[in-house]
Amino acid sequence: MSCSHPIDAAVLADYWLAALTPSEEDGVEQHLFECDECGARLREVIALAEGVRALAREGSLQMVVSDTFLQRAAEQGLRIREYTVPAGGSVQCTVAADDNLLIGRLAANLSAANRVDLSFCDVRGVERLRMTDIPVHAGAGSVVLQYPITYAKAAPSETQVARLVTYDDAGAERLLGEYTFHHTRTLPGPGAW
Amino acid sequence: MDLELDDAELVRQIGARHDREAEAELFRRMAPRVRLYGLRHLRDRHAADDLTQQVLVATLEALRANRLREPEKLASFMLGTCRMMVMDLRRGTRRRERLLETFAADLMPVQASTPHLDHERLTRCVQNLKERERAVVVMTFYDERAGADVASFLGVSEANVRVIRHRAIHQLRSCMGVAA
Repeated sequence: MSCSHPIDAAVLADYWLAALTPSEEDGVEQHLFECDECGARLREVIALAEGVRALAREGSLQMVVSDTFLQRAAEQGLRIREYTVPAGGSVQCTVAADDNLLIGRLAANLSAANRVDLSFCDVRGVERLRMTDIPVHAGAGSVVLQYPITYAKAAPSETQVARLVTYDDAGAERLLGEYTFHHTRTLPGPGAW
Repeated sequence: MDLELDDAELVRQIGARHDREAEAELFRRMAPRVRLYGLRHLRDRHAADDLTQQVLVATLEALRANRLREPEKLASFMLGTCRMMVMDLRRGTRRRERLLETFAADLMPVQASTPHLDHERLTRCVQNLKERERAVVVMTFYDERAGADVASFLGVSEANVRVIRHRAIHQLRSCMGVAA
């Protein structure tokens, strides 16, 4: 039998996260005890949540993260390799087999930045990837980048340049900082892609 | 057994003659719902399985003794039983052993686990989200905290985080090939 008042998957996610008000939660639970169709949708949401959680734990996503996220990851026993780089600076970096998360902390003055992009270039300055409108906190003084550790573990020795840029009122790009990563492969494997 | 039997009729058949097929139908129908409740509140598959068994045997005990006065309210009765048992579990008081001794032979394995997801596809879908949406979804589901930390990180309100999270969940479900 088809549900006449299906609960939206996003609301079910809120239920799973305990983010509903008590009366909303009560309504959802009453419904779930009478509706297998919405129960099946909740199971899909739980699977999605668990899948995303697994991706976060294996460090395979490229994304900006918070210090709170790193703190919780450390509390849960994940091994975090972190490199802090000043604007205009460079760092020699690598990754070990038992590292779980690879973090680059890019120092920058973000106080006047509205939209911020993070661009990745090769040593010739050719852009390979751009993360558009990344989440930044004006008072943070740095951007905490999680780099995909599965990629880094497989990568040959190479140099990458990360560039934090913002935009002025006229829409022109303005450099906030440039950061050079000299990655040395220390794990056994092929020396090149 | 008529599988279209409604809850009230199921209750009456169990109460009137301890109908084994009706009891089996009760388990089949209600176990997945109780287990979902257990997963949500106990955050542990084994604890959810235990809760399911306990709630079902407690329900069976009540129905065999005709203690459910309004048979059409079976779902509400079981939800209430779930809530009480979760509170009991949290208080550390358990009826489990006594109930399991009585009803062990009637219990069936709990079915309906969560569906399997294509890991590679999910990776692509998460990576294809906008940066803020990805941050919200990953940091929220990482330790299942919905609000304040993520809002503070993004410099937006918790209500805005909720809007971003909802949009991202719909996009992920669409990308994964399930209805939004």
